[in-house]
Amino acid sequence: MNGLTHSIKRAQVDWRMVLMSAVLVVIALVFNILSDGIFLSAENLYNIAQQTAVVGILATIMVLIIVARHIDLSVGSVMGFVGVLIAFLMYTLDWSWPAACLAGLAAAIAVSMYQGALTAFIGVPSFVVTLGGLMSFRGAAYLVADGKTQPLSDAFFLQLGGGYNGGIGTTASWVLGALMCVGLVVSTISRRQAKKTYGVPINPAWLDAAIVLIPIVIVLGFVAVMNTYHIPNKAEPQGIPIPVLIWGAVAMFVSFLVHRTRFGRYIFAMGGNPDAAALVGIPVRKVTMLLFFLLSVLITIAAVVAISRLNAGTNSVGNNLELLVIAATVIGGTALAGGSGTIIGSVLGALIMQSIDSGMLLLDISIGTRYVIIGQVLIAAVVFDVAYRKWTGDVL
Amino acid sequence: MSAVLSRGGQAQDAKRAVDTSKCLVELSHINKAFGGVHAVEDVSIKLYPGEVVAVLGHNGAGKSTLMKMLAGAYPIDSGDVIISGEKVHVRTPADAQNLGIESIYQTLALADNLDSVANLFLGRELLTRWRTLDDHRMDADARKVFERLNKNFTNVRIPVRRLSGGQRQVVAISRAIYFNARILIMDEPTAALGPEETAMVGNLVRQLKADGVGIFLISHDMHDVFALSDRLAVMKNGRLVGTYRTADVTEDEVLGMIIGGRRPEGKAQAER
Repeated sequence: MNGLTHSIKRAQVDWRMVLMSAVLVVIALVFNILSDGIFLSAENLYNIAQQTAVVGILATIMVLIIVARHIDLSVGSVMGFVGVLIAFLMYTLDWSWPAACLAGLAAAIAVSMYQGALTAFIGVPSFVVTLGGLMSFRGAAYLVADGKTQPLSDAFFLQLGGGYNGGIGTTASWVLGALMCVGLVVSTISRRQAKKTYGVPINPAWLDAAIVLIPIVIVLGFVAVMNTYHIPNKAEPQGIPIPVLIWGAVAMFVSFLVHRTRFGRYIFAMGGNPDAAALVGIPVRKVTMLLFFLLSVLITIAAVVAISRLNAGTNSVGNNLELLVIAATVIGGTALAGGSGTIIGSVLGALIMQSIDSGMLLLDISIGTRYVIIGQVLIAAVVFDVAYRKWTGDVL
Repeated sequence: MSAVLSRGGQAQDAKRAVDTSKCLVELSHINKAFGGVHAVEDVSIKLYPGEVVAVLGHNGAGKSTLMKMLAGAYPIDSGDVIISGEKVHVRTPADAQNLGIESIYQTLALADNLDSVANLFLGRELLTRWRTLDDHRMDADARKVFERLNKNFTNVRIPVRRLSGGQRQVVAISRAIYFNARILIMDEPTAALGPEETAMVGNLVRQLKADGVGIFLISHDMHDVFALSDRLAVMKNGRLVGTYRTADVTEDEVLGMIIGGRRPEGKAQAER
């Protein structure tokens, strides 16, 4: 027994993640009981998954922004501006969707470089820069199409937002799920071998097997549920919704940046001790600009998913989104003081937020009550964060 | 008074390795102003291989500013930095690192949220051929360096904020060792340490001297200064008061220079 606890301790289990997963499960079960089994139906889970994608995509990058001691209050507005621009180019000017998306990306990059340069080179706090941006780019979203809704009809483009044809089908879902499982197993084995080569202590085999089994069960379970959601007049069940695939790819990519590249390490170093980062020769300004560049790419991706989900670009796309994104990030365990946060946490945070919101919607709770409750959930998350950090001694 | 003399004796012992035939670092007529304030004014100091030069002065005397210019943290307004006979430009910390200059700052310049391995390699990570972080190689190399400095230091994978002062100092010092510093700047290296850890730093300084490393030592601790340094340079209000062999002056005379800016009577300054 002693050996067991020792191994588990050394495996550095992230108890916060375990707890958050438990919270998510409890939320789901409670709503499922209150809604007489509707909450955990395949249809509802499919909808929650694809609805969470936009917030989830932006939450991954918001983690890095907040870790680096910045904030972006303008994500929702910039996403609205870019979204309307893409829809306007496709509907009013009749551009093809790739051309329109590239133009949207160019606009997003221009906005991010402007805001990033003010922050990195002039030293204006990002809070102020993006507070201005919150207002300005909501205005810009209105100006693009003079406030008129821009409907979308391109069949391929509309799949990107999920919806009727937005699933990849059962076979593709199983293949993808299986590939992910193989990838997880291979990466665990190769990590063990690399550690052995360098004489770094490794976990016992059964423990690593247990650790890798958890994501495998989740992936396969997710695929199984998505594959049972069958829209009545369609030949085949939906499978994994495309927006969720995009979100998953984004989360894996940003995770890769965090764990495997200098860029990710520098973001955390800048958040942990900005003076030290400069003194050891980290190019702080360059890294900050790169961070804002990455933000612009992810805002564009989120904008594409958002407008194709709505089947239209309107000047209200992404209204109040910054609050949901920051809330998901904070609930996911990212410290507002900077220097600490995880991508997987942001995924769980986004799911918790969306589950609470969707669950209350299912129970027909009024919008006023929903706002009150979601606001207090955010506060509860921060209170928990403060208490947890005091308990573990990780006070920044 | 006798205590002072015995410390002077220790300094004599520590001096044997200095090679005065070729100058390692020459700071020549260095100036730096912040706004209208002259932080450093026309300061010239030389450092030889295997030598420890203590840089002394009150808070605000300009010693840290001078050293930060050598480390590339502040740009130099005017004056030359000459390393091994060649005039160099140190514009960024990366420039300084490329010239073999390493710094150990009073604040230790550690990212508290990262582990010891990440901190050792911060800014100079080892990469795989795919340009990704080579974590396992960094882990293995770091453990070797840490072990050399402190045998009991094995919890290298937890954030450095949870480490003791001595362990944090080990991480800061390990940078200088791993990257083979030729020139080492130590800013108050023992200020936050207990007696055992202070002794560890002292041993390390003697070891590095023997390897021919030149060290600038900023310290308020007269015991450290007399135990470790070969020469001492005193600054006041941004100007150099004088540079002396540590063995030639007493603690009282040094304090007189730091506080009053008075040069001791009848003592010759020492360029080398």
